[in-house]
Amino acid sequence: MAKQAQLAKTLVELADTLVADFDVVDLLALLAERCVEVLDVGAAGLMLAGPDGMLHVIASSSEAMRVLELFEIQSDEGPCLDCYRTGEPVIHQVLASGVGRWPRFASEAIEAGFNSVDALPMRLRGSVIGALNLFHEDQRGMTQDDLAAAQALADVATIGILQHRASLEAQALNDQLNHALNSRVTIEQAKGILAERLNVQIEESFGILRSHARNHNLRLADVAHGVVAGTILASSLDAPS
Amino acid sequence: MAPSTRSAILRSIIGKGNGELETQRLCAACAEITGMSGAGIMLMSGDVPRGEVCATDEVSHLIEELQYTLGEGPCVDAYNLDVPVLEPDLAHPGVSRWMAFTPPAVDAGVRAIFGFPLQIGAVRLGALDLYSDRPGALTDDQHANGLTVASIAAQAILVMQAGALGGTVAEQLEISADFQTVVHQASGMVSAQLEVGVAQGLIRLRAHAFGSGRPLPQVARAVVARELRFTPSGTEAVA
Repeated sequence: MAKQAQLAKTLVELADTLVADFDVVDLLALLAERCVEVLDVGAAGLMLAGPDGMLHVIASSSEAMRVLELFEIQSDEGPCLDCYRTGEPVIHQVLASGVGRWPRFASEAIEAGFNSVDALPMRLRGSVIGALNLFHEDQRGMTQDDLAAAQALADVATIGILQHRASLEAQALNDQLNHALNSRVTIEQAKGILAERLNVQIEESFGILRSHARNHNLRLADVAHGVVAGTILASSLDAPS
Repeated sequence: MAPSTRSAILRSIIGKGNGELETQRLCAACAEITGMSGAGIMLMSGDVPRGEVCATDEVSHLIEELQYTLGEGPCVDAYNLDVPVLEPDLAHPGVSRWMAFTPPAVDAGVRAIFGFPLQIGAVRLGALDLYSDRPGALTDDQHANGLTVASIAAQAILVMQAGALGGTVAEQLEISADFQTVVHQASGMVSAQLEVGVAQGLIRLRAHAFGSGRPLPQVARAVVARELRFTPSGTEAVA
């Protein structure tokens, strides 16, 4: 398949994140794989920041790559870290053992067969969620087109991950709201049951539910549920104090 | 009307007040921006209408109430189908639907009605009703604005819920809402009167409302006010 077509196909695959079985690791593994296959990169890897802001290696196109990325994090030095911290691309850095921006990282990388690196931010406007590492055996540097393509792939993956996170948050809030609405229904039903059984006004029956919940250290919704289900009898409820 | 930007819509929702999100302003903005006579927002949970978050006017309120009582209507369909449901001429509809909903809605002056699902991705909250007192389809811009305000409304509702104390509906959502409290209280009372479960209680209430031609909330209020009792042999009006 021609390179353009492969890139287009990859973009579509990366964009499809609003699905039930979405997995961030799978997504980023795909991204790393395609960078190597389509963009003639030696090795690719992705790091994402956790909720605490610490970077974690999520995907690597080879074991050697993974080891180097872990090394970056452990030694707190390397192109991916700089890229993540600044939110800016790190372009065509030629490595020399023991010297330069990342002396220890450079030594390790050269030993593993990599002589130049690029790192691109995973970023949407102000949010930097991680970085894409691209390692090369030679020192030629990537073409403008290839860098642009790599950034586009990283951007699509970023948007997908952020959307997925927002979706999870929305789901949680909606579940909370549904649960609260359902509890309300049960509480109102319980008020009605008590009002009838105890021959009191609705307001008073609410007071009875509340007192009973407080006195027995129960949640109001649980007491209401018991009344509606018939597991708590009206006669067993405490009179309001 | 030109398509409005999300920021313009948000500005009008947050408005001149204290910067707080308010559901009444949200509803009003939905109607203004789409150029409709009125708007109402319905929440659904467990695929059942739970009530209205806000309504701009009496007609919108009626639209929400009818859908709650009858379980049919544009909001219900929009929520179930996950697409906008459009009826540009309610008095002479192209599609035959909402047999019970349509006559009282038309009587109240609704001539066109459009339901937009409230969704954020796969998360479904309910639907937005937009009605006009004149028949006519939505223009492309109005349709686009409808989608935009529905999306903003969904997010606004969840943002408001995020501020709720554990297990409760957020105060901001309660303020202008009608979650059919009286209907549930009455269901409880009827279930105790008839020694049946609450679901049965509600069914009996609905049956009485339908049979007597009275709105369900009205029947419920009568039960709660003890003007109406249910007995195994029927219902009795209490003097």
